[in-house]
Amino acid sequence: MNNEAAYWITLAHLPRWGNLKINKLIITFFHDNNLTIEDFFQLSEQDWRSNYNLEYKDIEDLKKAKSELPNIAFLAETLINEGYEMISITSPLYSKTLKENLKYNAPSLLYVKGNTAILKEESVAIVGSRNASELSLDFTDHIAKLASVENKVVVSGFAKGVDLKALDSIIQYHGKSIIVLPQGIMTFGSGFRKYYQQIISGDVLVLSTFFPKSPWQAELAMARNPIIYGLASEIYVAESSEKGGTWSGVLDGLRKNRKIFVRNPESFEQTANPLLIQKGAIPVNIFGKPTPEYTILKSSAITDQANESNSKNSKGTQTSLFD
Amino acid sequence: MTRNEAEQILQKTFKIPCFYDEQWKTIEMILNGERVLLIEKTGFGKSLCFQFPAIILGGITVIFSPLIALMRDQVKKLNQLGISARGVNSEQTEEENTQIIEDAKSGKIKILYIAPERQNNTEWIEATRQMNLSMVVVDEAHCISVWGHDFRPAFRRIINLVNLLPKGLPVLATTATATKQVEADIAHQMGGDLNIIRGNLMRDNFKLFVIKVQSEDEKLIWLGKNIEKLPGTGILYTGTRVDTEVYARWFEFLNIPSMGYNAGLDTASRIAIEEGLMQNKWKCVISTNALGMGIDKPDIRFIIHTQIPQSPVHYYQEIGRAGRDGKPAYIILFYAPDDKSLPEAFIEGGRPSIHKYEKVISEIKKDLLGERELIKKTNLKQNQFRIIKADLLDQKIIREITIDRRKKLEYVPRAPQLNTRIFEDLRASKTDDLNHMIEYVETSQSRMNYLCDFLGDSTPNIAESCDNTGLKKVQVIVTDDWIQKVQEFHGQYFPILEVEMKGINLVNGIAASFYGFSNVGTLLHRCKYENGGDFPDFLLKLTLKAYRKNYGQNKFDLVLYVPPTKSGDLVKNFAVKVAEVLNIPISHQLKKLRETEEQKIFENAYLKSDNVKNVFIFENRDQIFGKNILLIDDIFDSGATIKEIGRYLTKLGAFQIAPLTIAKTVGGDKL
Repeated sequence: MNNEAAYWITLAHLPRWGNLKINKLIITFFHDNNLTIEDFFQLSEQDWRSNYNLEYKDIEDLKKAKSELPNIAFLAETLINEGYEMISITSPLYSKTLKENLKYNAPSLLYVKGNTAILKEESVAIVGSRNASELSLDFTDHIAKLASVENKVVVSGFAKGVDLKALDSIIQYHGKSIIVLPQGIMTFGSGFRKYYQQIISGDVLVLSTFFPKSPWQAELAMARNPIIYGLASEIYVAESSEKGGTWSGVLDGLRKNRKIFVRNPESFEQTANPLLIQKGAIPVNIFGKPTPEYTILKSSAITDQANESNSKNSKGTQTSLFD
Repeated sequence: MTRNEAEQILQKTFKIPCFYDEQWKTIEMILNGERVLLIEKTGFGKSLCFQFPAIILGGITVIFSPLIALMRDQVKKLNQLGISARGVNSEQTEEENTQIIEDAKSGKIKILYIAPERQNNTEWIEATRQMNLSMVVVDEAHCISVWGHDFRPAFRRIINLVNLLPKGLPVLATTATATKQVEADIAHQMGGDLNIIRGNLMRDNFKLFVIKVQSEDEKLIWLGKNIEKLPGTGILYTGTRVDTEVYARWFEFLNIPSMGYNAGLDTASRIAIEEGLMQNKWKCVISTNALGMGIDKPDIRFIIHTQIPQSPVHYYQEIGRAGRDGKPAYIILFYAPDDKSLPEAFIEGGRPSIHKYEKVISEIKKDLLGERELIKKTNLKQNQFRIIKADLLDQKIIREITIDRRKKLEYVPRAPQLNTRIFEDLRASKTDDLNHMIEYVETSQSRMNYLCDFLGDSTPNIAESCDNTGLKKVQVIVTDDWIQKVQEFHGQYFPILEVEMKGINLVNGIAASFYGFSNVGTLLHRCKYENGGDFPDFLLKLTLKAYRKNYGQNKFDLVLYVPPTKSGDLVKNFAVKVAEVLNIPISHQLKKLRETEEQKIFENAYLKSDNVKNVFIFENRDQIFGKNILLIDDIFDSGATIKEIGRYLTKLGAFQIAPLTIAKTVGGDKL
């Protein structure tokens, strides 16, 4: 991959293309035509037009991207020198869970630093509000503890509230964690300093899908949420309001039939958790166990669903987009 | 483009009639977007192989070059031809460099020379995103290889960059000196589709001599008698910086115009000496091997080595600077049986002990730290630390990262164990190279052939190219008058203490001797550490002689001495005697506020200066204000103590502080 890094960075950030269009192109050259990305960029315009059904504008985009490859090579060299790794969607290191969950919308390139083996492990996302209640933070702590006992990786988004609690707890329990950044990976300096020990001991992987030098932006924080959900085999919601990233992320997950556990709140709490439960999320108590009412009401349906999901995982037969 | 078309442009732009075949072959490949490794001797015209395509290709050509002198020289020549070329390097101010990088971004520059270290610079990397890059050149490509004679860690990143550049972007790597092993290593590192062009290395205008001597004095004598008989001007290479000073003083003593040069000089002095060399201002420039690489002086008529280089490759590279105009050049190597101990010491002492490596790794594992913090934490000398750092980077055990614009060293997760085997292999390889260099001294065959063979070029012998093939052997004839001259020289030669700093009223001082010269070091050691009593009168006499030579006309108001750490009143008693003889008042009021450690236990300058920082006090500042002070100490090592006292006395209003010591150490002296 290393020698192809400049090509992948260029392709992954083609302006206004989007993951879907980029992934379709990758499937055609890599999967159907058996070409490396370097080979693809060496093709003539004629080849691009006739074999890849690319329109005039697309070809202009690719030509421009190609002319910038030497410049991107300098950036790629800096990234590699600083210990960042780039994992393309065609790489065996790429997270199967992410590919399975996001399918054509999976990002074509991951920028990571830390123990990449973590991407292969069972994972739990813990999500929730930036202004979470004590109860939600306790819940987060319990789920993180459980994850550490079960050797599952905790995926979180490095925002205040639930995200940071999830990270702090899993570190405290000596578990493993993926931090999904709402910014380019080269702008996370202070974080790398703070989690230096965890990163070098292999317990933390920092991951970003954005252009390496992009600073934090609200829209990147929103765009990062699907990555958090996508990287996890199970999703635990500590607390959601009726709008914002957690809310829209969970709804999106439910639409895609993801198994999402939501903390069943106390009666005095003002959260949108009950609404999410109404929409199909699975209520769990503060220790992450499905609540009795829920078990009784929906026992058969859940068991079937869970079994199906477990059997898939145990056989390791998740369908892979590009295998 | 046909060769004919290209040569028309060549004539018009470069005022050169035509290409050599190998030049054109290279240029054709470059214009075709290929990658080339070009191995050609000095003077072949390697630069044209990238300068010509650079003006044909659309964008900017970036040349990574470690040689600032070469940058300066080539930029000047290209500009004279009307080609917009610039160099970015540490000799220029940051503002100048920034402006040049801006111009490169906006397409105003065709050819940009840049030091490989710049790849560590954020501003440069940012700028590269906006340049229209059309070719990358790696000059002195042998620096890529640890098996080469001049491996430079900064080139590692250049190689990584080359491997990331897209196919079709031309890359040219050039060198004048690569053995087959180094060639293979470069090719391996540059990966895949690399074309290698290797020319012959024979320099048939060279006249090679080896002069065997029994002592350093015999070298001085031969040079004193003969250097002016050699034609034109040349370079005298010595093994150490101290030796450049010794030989420069010797020529000064004999009224032979010469100039000393070493990498420790400031930029302005270096430029001035390089220019003086170009203009034949002196019979010779005396230098460590820092001088000459990249200096395009066609008529260097002789190159003399007073010390055997580490390998035939070093030697070939260094003598390669002579006779680029094709006219005869004299190449002389002195050799005394003891001479091999210096390169042997370089080889043996090239690497710190393994436990120092482990100490560094352990600190880096604990915390994300910068170089300076680590040097302090590990109490290592800066140069030792840098060797360790380079090795650990090379073995991918650590990496250097930038956090908030500061460089930090980070441990690589799941890093391999330190591989010490490679150090042994490198040492064995270097010992083998040195043995070959000695074989060069001893050989009875053609010396030029010997060098070319070693470098992997087996062009047939040429008659009369050396003292083994027809030229008369040179022997040193020692006569009484010259023995006397050398003795006289030794008796009046005193090392300078370089302490002058901006804003501090210190002047460069003088020592009576180098620590290791004659028996001075032994005497000092006995007095200081073996209860040998006061410093003997012999040292007093020598010191007074040094004083008179350096400060003869100076009027001092006051003698001060460095207050002791361990050796009691030795320095005080010595200073009293000096003051008495010179009839200058002495004060005993310069004191220490707290106990300090002996400076010699600290291995690096940071810790030495920390040890003495703000430690001195002088109560009655009226005694200091406006005064011209002679400051006495026994041994001058890093200079940290003298500088701290100088800083303090300047604050108290001293007009001038002039250091005088018995001895000055040379790197590696054991105190």
